[in-house]
Amino acid sequence: MKNWRSLLYHLSRLALALVFVYAGAVKMNDVVAFAGHVAAYQILPYALNYLVAATLPYIEFLAGMLLLLNARVRPALLTIAAMNLVFMLALLSVLARGLDIDCGCFDPGGGQDVGAGMALLRDIGLMALIVLMWQLRPCQGAVDVAAEEPSP
Amino acid sequence: MNSELLKRILLEACVLIAFGALVGLTINYQLVLDAFAGRLVSTAVETQEVATGELLPMPVLLDEVAQVLENGGLAVDARNSDSYAEGHIAGAVSLPLAELDENELAAFIQQTPKTRILIVYCSGFGCPDSFDLGILLLEQGYADVRVFEGGYPEWRDAGYLVGGGVE
Repeated sequence: MKNWRSLLYHLSRLALALVFVYAGAVKMNDVVAFAGHVAAYQILPYALNYLVAATLPYIEFLAGMLLLLNARVRPALLTIAAMNLVFMLALLSVLARGLDIDCGCFDPGGGQDVGAGMALLRDIGLMALIVLMWQLRPCQGAVDVAAEEPSP
Repeated sequence: MNSELLKRILLEACVLIAFGALVGLTINYQLVLDAFAGRLVSTAVETQEVATGELLPMPVLLDEVAQVLENGGLAVDARNSDSYAEGHIAGAVSLPLAELDENELAAFIQQTPKTRILIVYCSGFGCPDSFDLGILLLEQGYADVRVFEGGYPEWRDAGYLVGGGVE
């Protein structure tokens, strides 16, 4: 049972890590095109689209790398969950306003367009994976706390 | 999970976000500075001459497009003729980059004065045709060519006047 949990945890970790390392890397490669995709959401003022495009891919990449290295997993998961939540809210707003845009989630400079509905479904799947990983992650903090407690 | 551990996780997540943002800003600071200074949007100068001497059309935002068209500018649709027929910016002429032949371009040049402001657009952000057509029109001698990167989707979704069929 423990082996099965461990296998599931590491598979989820690697899957999530690759998704975010890839998503971050392709956006870092074309920040201006990504800024265009952010602007298409029509949520932020003009200049802030560039600020988001200049920073977000690096946070995605860094969080993905930490997952890949199995280091600082819970902080990385929390960061990814927060970003994913923001993406989902942005996509919901796009759907509510009936905008016809490509989500810009992965390759901002080309490739196939992914609509807001499909991107939202994908983000829900990613969020489920994040929650699963959070549950499966061995609680190292509990060990730390137990070690700090004075022995009777 | 105790609150001490949660606090530590939250703090580490904040450090991660701050570090990632700092790296991004360090690498892209010039782009962000230009964006905040408005240097990525045309204001007084309509075309931009890059270091190589090549003229490039400048991007314009939705409000400016509406203003320029109201004041006599001409919208040029770079999408294919089917997309144009389905819907386009009201008053726009079709100059589909992918299907463009010499006769069509010559007819456009004959009918359109070189001094007229041209707003070129296609299917929105990520679509390169408007930019490429803008360069082509600058090469043909048009003095003021601007690219509307939001394109037809942004124009339509903002509720501005659209046309259908062939004008």
